[in-house]
Parts: sequence; C-alpha cells; structure tokens
Amino acid sequence: MSRLPKQPGERINRARTVRFTFDGKPVDGLAGDTIASALYVEGQRTFSRSFKYHRRRGLLCCAGQCPNCLVAVDGAPGVRACTEPLREGMRVEHLNASPSLERDLMAVTDAVGGPFTPPGFYYKTFIRPRRLWPLYEKVLRNAAGLGRLREKQDEREWRSEYRRRHADVLVIGGGLAGLRAALAAAEAGEDVVLADEGAEPGGRALADGRHDEARALAARAAGAGVEILSSAPALGCFDGLVAVWQGTTLHQIRARRLIFATGAIEQPLVFAGNDLPGVMLSGAVRRLISLYAVAPGTRAVVAATSDRGLEVAEALRAARVEVVAVADLRAGWTVLEAQGRKQVRAVVLGAIDGSAERRIECDLLVVSGGFAPATSLVAQAGGRTAYDARRGHFALADLPDGVEAVGAVAGEGATAPEAVPPAVSGAQRGKCFACICEDVTAKDIHLSVDEGYDSIELSKRYTTTTMGPCQGRMCQLPAVRLMAQETGQDLQSVGTTTARPPWSTVPLGALAGPTYEPAKRSAIHARHRELGARVQWAGDWRRAYDYGDPQAEALAVHESAGLIDVSTLGKLIVRGPDAAEFLDRLYPNRFSNLKPGRIRYGVLTSDAGRIMDDGTICRLDDESFYVTTTSSGAGAVEQWFAWWLADWGMRVTLTDVTQGLAAVNLAGPRAREIMGRLSELDCSNEAFAYLDGKRAAVAGVPSLILRIGFVGEVGYEIHFPAAYGHHVWDAILEAGAEHGIRPFGLEPQRILRLQKMHILVGQDTDSESTPFGAAMPWIVKLDKDEDFIGKWALEHAAEHPSETALVGFAMPDGDVPTEGAAVLDERGEPVGQVTSARHSRQLGQVIGMAWVPSPLAADGATITISDERRRLSASVLTKPFYDPEGEVLRS
Amino acid sequence: MSYLLTCPNCGTREVTDFAYGGEVSRRPRERPSRRELGAYNYFRRNVAGVQREWWYHRSGCRAWFVAERDTRDNRVLWTALPDEAKAMQ
Amino acid sequence: MTAFEFLEVSGDAIARSPMERQALAAGARFEVRDGWNVAVSYPANGSLTWTDMSHLRKVEVHGTHDLTPGLAAKANGSWRCPITRDRMLVLGASDADGIDVTCSLAALAICGPQAREVFARFCALDLREREMPVGGFRPGSVARTPGYVLREDDDRFLMLFGWALGEYMWTVVSDAAAPFGGVAGA
Repeated sequence: MSRLPKQPGERINRARTVRFTFDGKPVDGLAGDTIASALYVEGQRTFSRSFKYHRRRGLLCCAGQCPNCLVAVDGAPGVRACTEPLREGMRVEHLNASPSLERDLMAVTDAVGGPFTPPGFYYKTFIRPRRLWPLYEKVLRNAAGLGRLREKQDEREWRSEYRRRHADVLVIGGGLAGLRAALAAAEAGEDVVLADEGAEPGGRALADGRHDEARALAARAAGAGVEILSSAPALGCFDGLVAVWQGTTLHQIRARRLIFATGAIEQPLVFAGNDLPGVMLSGAVRRLISLYAVAPGTRAVVAATSDRGLEVAEALRAARVEVVAVADLRAGWTVLEAQGRKQVRAVVLGAIDGSAERRIECDLLVVSGGFAPATSLVAQAGGRTAYDARRGHFALADLPDGVEAVGAVAGEGATAPEAVPPAVSGAQRGKCFACICEDVTAKDIHLSVDEGYDSIELSKRYTTTTMGPCQGRMCQLPAVRLMAQETGQDLQSVGTTTARPPWSTVPLGALAGPTYEPAKRSAIHARHRELGARVQWAGDWRRAYDYGDPQAEALAVHESAGLIDVSTLGKLIVRGPDAAEFLDRLYPNRFSNLKPGRIRYGVLTSDAGRIMDDGTICRLDDESFYVTTTSSGAGAVEQWFAWWLADWGMRVTLTDVTQGLAAVNLAGPRAREIMGRLSELDCSNEAFAYLDGKRAAVAGVPSLILRIGFVGEVGYEIHFPAAYGHHVWDAILEAGAEHGIRPFGLEPQRILRLQKMHILVGQDTDSESTPFGAAMPWIVKLDKDEDFIGKWALEHAAEHPSETALVGFAMPDGDVPTEGAAVLDERGEPVGQVTSARHSRQLGQVIGMAWVPSPLAADGATITISDERRRLSASVLTKPFYDPEGEVLRS
Repeated sequence: MSYLLTCPNCGTREVTDFAYGGEVSRRPRERPSRRELGAYNYFRRNVAGVQREWWYHRSGCRAWFVAERDTRDNRVLWTALPDEAKAMQ
Repeated sequence: MTAFEFLEVSGDAIARSPMERQALAAGARFEVRDGWNVAVSYPANGSLTWTDMSHLRKVEVHGTHDLTPGLAAKANGSWRCPITRDRMLVLGASDADGIDVTCSLAALAICGPQAREVFARFCALDLREREMPVGGFRPGSVARTPGYVLREDDDRFLMLFGWALGEYMWTVVSDAAAPFGGVAGA
C-alpha cells in the first residue's frame, strides 16, 4: 500500500526512510511514523493476540490507550506501537502469540474456551484433582501475561531518573484547552509545567484540521516559558504530588495549582466481534490519515452516536476511502456484528428496535460510542464525578481547592446531541467484548452478577475488567452499563470503580528509580577492606564482621591485644546547666553525682519500664556529658532526648556527633603498654582507672579515651575526629605490632561480650524486657527523690518479680544452639528462648544467654534447649563466664 | 501517602522528611494508679478526625513540633513549636 | 585540652575527607592546607562540577540569634545558618564559639547552571530562584538522608550531610550529574 497524498498537518518526513525489523523482517517507514503507522502502510492488520483467547487484535485507538498494539521493542515488552516513534534499527516483536502472530496455537482457547473460561476459571476449572494444582499453576503462569522481561538489563537501560519539579501550575494534557490554560498562567507570571502524553502537544486538534492552531499555541506557550513535557503521561496524583513518566525520567511534580486538561476518551461499542481487526475508533482513523497519511481501509462502514463520529465519514471520503454505510444511533441504527476471520470482511447493521438488519461487505468499521471525560486523574486528586444521563457518561461534579479542569474533561465543547448506546447489541451473534484488555465479554459480566458479584467494585476484582493496560479507558463505561442492565440499577447507583494509579502503563523499573541506599561507612572503612574484612550490613552501617577468623581474633584480645572499629556507636553531647538533672530524669540511675572524668553505664527505659537502649555516659565537666548509645539506637535516642526536652523545656542542648567522631576499642593484656606508647598519659591503673574518661592526644590526635570493658579485657575506647580515622587506626596497629595486636571484627566482639554476659539491647532483650528481668536490678535507683522516666512501672516491677529472667548458660563444646531456640520445661513445653549463643575457644565451651522461668535462674540449674530436632542440656550461670568478679577488667 | 507538613523552623517539606511521634498525651504529674499508668502507656484515642500530634523533623532541624491533622484525609490544620502549641486551643 | 578539643581538627596529623578516595579515583591532585589533605585540581573540566568541601569548618552554636529562618547571613567570608530559633550552624569561621561539628558534616558544593537539575534527581527541596535566593538555607532530606542545602552564589549550592555518608553521596551526585556532563572539580 502507498501513502495518501500530502496531508496538511502530517507529521511524517517523506524524504527520510527509517528501517526497522518486525518479527525479524526488515520494514521501511518514514521519519515521524509510529511503529504502527509504518506497519499499517505495509498491510499489517493483526498487531497482537489477546490476553485470554488469543484473538487477533488490530489498531483500535491509535492514541496509546487500548492494549491492542502492545509490542516488544529491543526486548522490552509493553510498548504501544501506535504511539512509539520509529527509530532506525529498532527491533520490534509481537507479544503473546506462539509460534507466530499469524499462527498462534493458543488461539484454540477462543474456539473451545468460552464455556470453560468464565471469570475466575483458573479457580473453577483447574482445582481438581487438587494435587495437580502445582502443574496447572505452572501452565497458567506460562499462558498468562503479555510478554517476557529479559533476564538481564544494562544498568541504566530500564531505570529512570527521578526528577523533582516544583511549579506554580501543572497542566496535565496538552490539547488546545491545556495549552491555552498553560499560556494564560505563564503570561500571568506563573511558573508552569505542561505534561502531555502525546509525542507533540496539540491533542485531538492535530488530527482534526486544527493542527496549525495547535502548533502555534504550543509555540507561544513554550515562548512564554511553559516547560512542555511531551510523551509524558501523568501516572497518578498522590496527595498533590503528580508522577509523570517521560521515557527515562520520572518527574515528581508539585504545583500550587493543578489544571486537568485530560480531554475525553472515545468509547467503543459493545457488539459481536467488536474486537476484530478493522474495527477502529473514529479518532484512530483521523490520526492515521492526518498525521501519517495512511488510508485506514478501502470500503468503510461508520457506526456512531454523535456528529463527532459522523465527521469521520467526511475525512474518510477526503482520503478516498469509500464510505458505504453510516449507522447513526440517533436515527435508530447501530452495529450488531463484525464478521471476518482475520479482519473485518462485513458488518451487520441493525435497527435498534429490531425491525431490520443489513449485511454490508467492507474492510473497515469505524465506531464512535461517544466521548467520556477522562476523569480518573482528577478523581485521584480529589474530584468527584456524577452520572450525566443526558450525555450517557460520568462527568465532573465537584473539585477540591487548587484543582481545576478545562476543556473536554470539564464538559466544554460537547454541544452536539448524543445518543446513549445500548449496553450490548448483537449479543447472540458471538463474543461481545466489554473489556478487550482482559478478554471479558458482556456474558462474563452477566455471569459474575449471577454469581453474586453485583457491585462494580466486586465485579472489577472478579472479572478483572478495568484492570488491564487501558486502565478503564475503553471498558469502565461499558462495564457500568452492563452492570446497570444486569442489576436493574441506574448508572449513578452503580457508580464507577475507584480511580487508582497508574493511569498509564509504566515499566516497574521507571517507578523504582535509581537504587540509592544510604550506606554509612566509618572513617576507617577503607582500611577494613584492605585488611580483608568481611563487610556486612549492621543497621544502616557497613561494618567489618570479621577479618577471616573470628575465633582467633577473639583469642588475640585475651592473649595480647585487639583493635576494633566502634565508630558506629551513637554519640551525643548533652550540655547545659540542667544537663545532669536532665539525665537523672531520663535514666533509672543517677548522673548528677557522677564526677567529671568518670564514666557510668546507663540503661534507658520507657515509661512502661522497658529497656530501650544502653550505653556509657562520661561526664566531661559540670555541665557537659558525653553519651554513647548502641549503634542502631543512635537516631532513636537523640529523638527520645529531644522529645522530653521539648516537653520539659530544660536548659540543655543536644549535639549529635555520631558521625563526627571515629571510635576504636583497644583491648587486651597489652593494651596499656600500647596506649602508653601512643600518648603521654600516665596509663597506670592508679592514674587511669577502670571507668575513667580522659582527654589526651593519641598519636598526636586530640581524643577522648574511655576506659571501659565491653569485651572483658583492659580496654580503652578512643574517640577522635573522624578526619583522622586512618591515621589513628594505623598508628595503633603500628605501635601494637610488636605486642601481637590484631584487628577484630563485630563477630569476635560478640563472642567476647557474651563471655562477659554484656547484653545486646534488641538481641538479648525485647520490647517486654525490664532491667529486673534482664538481671540488672542494680541499675534502677528507686530511691532517687526525683521522678524519672519509667519510675512508676519499675516500682511495680520491683515488687512483682518477673516470671522470666535472662541468664547465661554453658554447654560442653559441640553444637551451638540457634538463636531463638526454645527452652523447655520438664514436660517439654516451651517456657523460654535462647537469645545469643556462641562457641568460645577461650572457655572451651558453648555459651549463651536465654530467658528462662525465674525458678531456673540459679547457678547450676539445668535447662533443656530444643533446637530443631535436637535436645540440648545446659547449665545455668548468673555471673559472667569470663572474669566473673571483673578483676581482669579493673586490673 | 506523600502529603506536606510545615515545620515551624524549616518550612514545608514532604511528610517523609519527618518522624511521627503519636498523639499528644499528658504524662501523669503525680504517681498514677496502675490503671492510669496502663492507660497512659498503652491506650491511644486513635480518633477518626482532627487530632493533636507530635512530629519530629528527622531529616531537617531535628526539632519536635506539634500539629493538628485530620486523620481521615491528612489535612494539616496547623503546626507549631511546643511552647506555641500550648497556647492553641 | 579544652573540653571539646577532641571534636576539633588540630594537631600534626593530616585530616582527611570521607570522599578522599573517590576524589583520588577521579584523578585529583592533593595538597595539605591547614592540616587537611585537599583536592586542589582535577584532570577534567566542565560547566557542572561538584567539589568536596568537607574540610570547611562547621560549628554548631546554641543560643538565640537574630537570623531569619531559611536565610543564612554572610559575614567575613563565613555563613551563619539558622536551624532553629536558638541553634545555628556557622560555616567557614575560624573563631566561632560552639561545638565543632566539622567532622560530623561532610560537604559537597554543586556548581553550574545545571546544579538545580542535579539536585532535582535526589532531593525534594524547592531550589527555584524565587524560593531560594542566594543565602537561602534549607535543612531537609538529600538523597534519603538528613542534610542541609545552602545557596552560596547564583549557581553554587553547598550541600552538607553525614560524614559517614561520604562515599555514598559521592556516588549519588556523580550518578545524578553524569547525564549533564558533570565532573568532579576543585
């Protein structure tokens, strides 16, 4: 076939050929063509096979709305051939047909499938025998869906960039009304964005003879500063944020004013064979002729409900297509059936009162079932619709503040009288599709109502009508009409389904955006990598889990010295005249009597007396405290402190320095010597005792040194500016080299702390744990005069011993019980659980912590642990496994 | 959910900038009974309508403020710093 | 040592930015300036650049101030940036009295006519000319993490964020700037 003579508004460039392939065959089109227009010129009529019945489908809307022309381009499925511009070398392939579009074996479902494939058939037909369901499922999964994703993609290939855009006005829809609104706003000095789904702004006007006006308006709007986004459908409105997808960019637009100029959607008619290739909407025909100079057929029949539909007859004649009959519903005629095997060969027209019918041979049936305002996005933005009985569709009835509608979506320009088509005609003659995306027929809707799905929302979920790629554009109104007919309700009572995003089909990759994952890394992180650390996530930090041999690393801490990066600890500076009182109110123990330069352990409790976090607190001077928290609790503790401060209004300031300070823990019998080499401090036990906090230079770097003992050996936790991370780390390892120092990771630290029964909040405690249950009654100072958070609940807890207690347990070397394994009573009932367990090479035992019934919380008691199928016996300890009296620590 | 909140310090931001702190309740001033303590710790009014609630500008100034919001449609009536909020009725 | 000297960059050791390795990989040449190893030049040039400014001194100052919310004031080459009514961040002043948070906040300056478009890829702040005059200061989320943005000049935006997120943020910014031809610059 050849092109029509030059059309006044055509988009094609006849001087430039673009070559691409369709199912492997080379095809030539013109620059400015879409895939569909180029293929149509070459005689292609079948563009896809339908979802369920694998029926042939051809061009219906030519506006990117229906599912009929979905193809894969260069391996990416879900591309609409009717709107996708042609590119040199693009590889276009059909979807959903095997072995080929022309010979599709699954088309057998169309011939035999009707009675067997009603709505929900996969649950009805394929449930017996039940044991075969896994097989059925596999087969159905293979049969379902439209196209396949490639297993691997290039990094940026299917990913889109997010782009935030703030604006005064966002206009959605670039038809004449949208362009005018955008221009007016821009001329009034507003910052305007216009998002249009078309490749070129102008909308319907481009194809109905008003192209010059549209193009002039678009140029004026651009000149006035409107940012025009083309090929950019709006996907949804989310509390004022509008997502607009444009190729590789997902715009997230917030505007003070939203102007919807989304137009109206031409509706199909429901009759037998209404999905046959060659059945086209009037708008599609006009676009093919005007934009691409393609004759849609040779002999056409037109069936319409309004003058707009009839205007197409003129356009067809101008394109030298013979118009052999026009069925005007207002004159009492409509179409009953489209006939033909591969495409339309004839149509049967009928009088609406059943008094007459006529069969006419043709190769094109142009239908126009009226124009329904595209209200979905407006509804997502808070607009309401109501049924307009005179026009036979749902129209906007109410708009929220900041939301406007202009043009056809607002009912403007719809002056000509329209006739409301019947819900279905020619129903006895064959399949009449209400929903072409999901292959739902008028009969299916009848069946679903029969089965009790008699509300439009239920029917939607049962039949999946409106849930396909057209998102209700082609099927919402037909489904509502059918539902009204079946249930005897009026259309207003039936109502519409809730408008949900996405309004346009979009690849999931476009929504996912770039994969930014905020990963915190200590200032020493690069060194860990160089030392061969296994790096794992710990909360939002990347941490050195171990350096290859956690047991040996733990042993080094006992035998010589170890160095661990603890920069992830939360660190807060609490400062002000009321700082001490503030901490007294937050913690169950006292800090007002802590001397400057001394450290105290603290457990934060909620007002329910439950443990929230723990850490050490060092008093720097009268008004300043240095508070550390768990690594994962840093943010929550700052938030918690700030919250009470907001309520109490005390003279206290908080400064989070978690990331500002690197911290390392140098521990082991040789740690003191190493410290001595790195600083001028007197590190003797008398001068620098356990729980002292001193400020001094370490390797020339000003530091805060806390003598604490999380891992059970003499240890110095050194906090210093993060900018010196590598310097201090390197200096310590160098100074300790001759003492056998070894870096150790998170896992050996866990072994070491377990030997000391130092709890990990969140690991050994849960949201029900109190300091009493967790064997730390000494931390609660109920004799404090002042009120503190958790006081009342802890007073109660002190008087009512908890039913379970956290204890240590030890077992002979062997299997390590799984964390979370159950502790059993003598009858074999679960009464507790293991929270931590590790093999300890130092102790030659398996050790752990567990919650057990209080009567068992006694040294020497025996507990039984059920771990998968094993029963393990362990003996209870209430004092630390290693250095129970803390003599090593204090030495 | 992507509505806007106005931080009294920083101005208007996406709600994802903030942490929700729950409805404003009053910590008992005197030692509560067991029942009162339980109610304070565990019971929330959970209204369908306008409620006064705490918000924390986690990604911004890291300050707490108070908002009145309609829980049905996320319409925010006002936001204020705690001392100003005490005056709002 | 004074009470908070352990927070301050001082002494003989060389202070390093959390993005030093990324800058090195981008071909930076370094010089030690005021105790910091600073990238002073890069091989590539472009109209859109991002520059590691982590060495900039930052001090959190508590106490009421006279600043307008959202607007920083420049004096003697340093910026006073209001965060709340009684808390501000002072950037680039050697004598500011408060808690030194230099190493709590890493910093990148994104410069060039396309700077706003780069921000738009990872940040929801409204940085339009009218909303964000020179001196505009915005605490808020950047690349899904807490941050601050200061418009230092017509086409120069300074972004502050957590020190531990240096490597992450460098990746985000270079990824976002790449389609615009952005390069690391000094």
